[in-house]
Amino acid sequence: MSSSFLRLVLLVAQRDYLRTVRRRGFIIATLLLPVGMAAIMAISGFAAQSGTGSNDQPIVVVNESSVVLQANPAITPDIVLLARSDADAQLASGAIKGFYLVPAGWPATPTVAHIEAPTSRTRLLDIAGGGQAEVDLLLRVAQLHAAGLPDSALGTLLTPITYQSQTPDGKPISDTELAAGFLLPYVFALIFVLGIFITSGYLLQSVNEEKESRVVEIVLSSIPALPLMAGKIVGLGMAGLTQIVIWLLTVVIGLPLLNAQLSVNISIPPVALALTVVLYAVGYLTYGALFAAIGALATGSREGQQLSSIVVLPAIIPVVLVSFFLRDPNSPIVWLLTLLPLTAPGAILEVVAISPSPPWLMVGLSLLSQVIVAAIAIFLSGRIFRATVLLYGVRPSLGRIIAALTGRA
Amino acid sequence: MLGFLGPNGAGKTTTMRMILDIIRPDRGQIRVFGMPPGPEHQTRTGYLPEDRGLYRDVPALDTLAYFGALRGLSLSAARQKAKELLIEVGLGDSLTKKAGELSRGMHQKAQLIATIINSPDLLIVDEPFQGLDPVNATMLKNLLIEQRDRGAAVVMSTHDMEDAQLLCDRILLIDQGRRVLYGKVDDVRRAFSDGAVEVVGKQLPTDTDRLHAASHAVAYDGSVRYLLRDGATAQELFRELGDTDAQVEKFAVEAPNLAEIFVRAVAGDERAKAVA
Repeated sequence: MSSSFLRLVLLVAQRDYLRTVRRRGFIIATLLLPVGMAAIMAISGFAAQSGTGSNDQPIVVVNESSVVLQANPAITPDIVLLARSDADAQLASGAIKGFYLVPAGWPATPTVAHIEAPTSRTRLLDIAGGGQAEVDLLLRVAQLHAAGLPDSALGTLLTPITYQSQTPDGKPISDTELAAGFLLPYVFALIFVLGIFITSGYLLQSVNEEKESRVVEIVLSSIPALPLMAGKIVGLGMAGLTQIVIWLLTVVIGLPLLNAQLSVNISIPPVALALTVVLYAVGYLTYGALFAAIGALATGSREGQQLSSIVVLPAIIPVVLVSFFLRDPNSPIVWLLTLLPLTAPGAILEVVAISPSPPWLMVGLSLLSQVIVAAIAIFLSGRIFRATVLLYGVRPSLGRIIAALTGRA
Repeated sequence: MLGFLGPNGAGKTTTMRMILDIIRPDRGQIRVFGMPPGPEHQTRTGYLPEDRGLYRDVPALDTLAYFGALRGLSLSAARQKAKELLIEVGLGDSLTKKAGELSRGMHQKAQLIATIINSPDLLIVDEPFQGLDPVNATMLKNLLIEQRDRGAAVVMSTHDMEDAQLLCDRILLIDQGRRVLYGKVDDVRRAFSDGAVEVVGKQLPTDTDRLHAASHAVAYDGSVRYLLRDGATAQELFRELGDTDAQVEKFAVEAPNLAEIFVRAVAGDERAKAVA
């Protein structure tokens, strides 16, 4: 590869990269994940503070039934039993937002009313925060007491049962690990597919814009088609990679905060993060080359988007078939998906996310397959790009496309 | 400066794209600077296509700097050169304006600057003055003449025969991808001359019996139009007139203009073969 070829590729890449990352749409899309994550943390923080009403908002219960209800600080710490008149007074003064009313006919009449303040609807928060479950517990304990169950039996009955997943050799698997095992493949594959969609959109936009504004002919008189296309793929791929890295950094920085707030312990292995970047970059080369060719073929931006969706569909297949990956990441169908040209990038990312340690043989073979396919795609797309990019508003015939692919156009 | 002429669909744009190595010929050969066209020539050429544009949402200066860099200049040198040229054509106030904010005339000036920013040895311009007002057209013509005068070869495709006659040293006319005529403008016009000479003066003879070089003479509004006999030359007629009492004030060999020649050549006039 000559130095002038590299110089031209870098020039085009630099220009397209800077132009893209300065666009308002790119900045908004890039900030979407960090802002979304901050919003989740804010909402969960708000829910943690106000959801249970544990300290400043007691769960008020008015008992009009003949069954004796007793709030037990150990079992129902947030329950406060009040007389109806007191509850009404507190509701009117705004001291409480609502209260539960156990009717006179309870338990024969099993409906418990929740009296809401005129301007407030708090029961949904009670349900989410576990307040209603506490009322439920209060009523069931009262029923068990009424049935004559001794306190010792009641204590045994109310002791929570814990469940523990284990490997065959007895090694414990945490619930977080199980949840992450389901979540991570989805998140990784979705980030990748999203990245593909967005970055390919930039590529299409760039080629279409140059074609529609008739700049492309001036550019092609200054630089051969191949370095022009390669520069666009590299520049816009770097823009996409910038987005992915920002998103991954957000996850890396945000996860510990989220873990602390939600009292969980979800983590992503650093090797999986590094592999994500590498696999994304290699996978994008194939898609990038195809999108550049589509941009050259399409008569306008709308047709470009329609054509590109055909190519993007295979990228979604690994996401749809995630159950195969979860069941057996070493199964033949998973192997096939990691080697097939357009499914390989998403599939191998899912495998990496699922596996406790990367299956290096599969990763290596998938990478090799993708590099070969990317090289072929860039070569053939270069021919199509060169043969069709100057056809303004004209859809090239199949014969012309075949002639381009075989180097006769 | 070469006028590259031909009817619509003759293959002018295709030929220019082949010269610039944007597309390759199915058969035949093209040589540029003595070699087949290739990427190594792109820093020595400049091209203003008929279908042209600039990035609408980017300042013209940035676009021109980018084009200059693609044509071999460093980014900073290209930027500086673009700035100088924009100021030279009166766009000094519009350096930071986005292309979408420029008028059509400003646009075309900026586009021509993109073509000459690398001081090319070969400049190919396709309908450079299309849609321009006379002031801007004259300014761009002067820019092209400057390029020619500094030694660049200029190939100009145009349908405006007046421009071709005024600016070009040679013309090449093609039709259906084939050369119809080629040569110096004067030679081509002479080839298509029908042998008429227009003479202005006093006491001009109209009796062709006294003149061996002319077969017909028609007086018209103070001048006489002589038709040369087969084999006779205008020089012989001039000499014969000198032997009479005639006082010659103007002696001009009549030749059709390029527009007429264009129409005749494309229609298959045999005289085109003499300069094909």
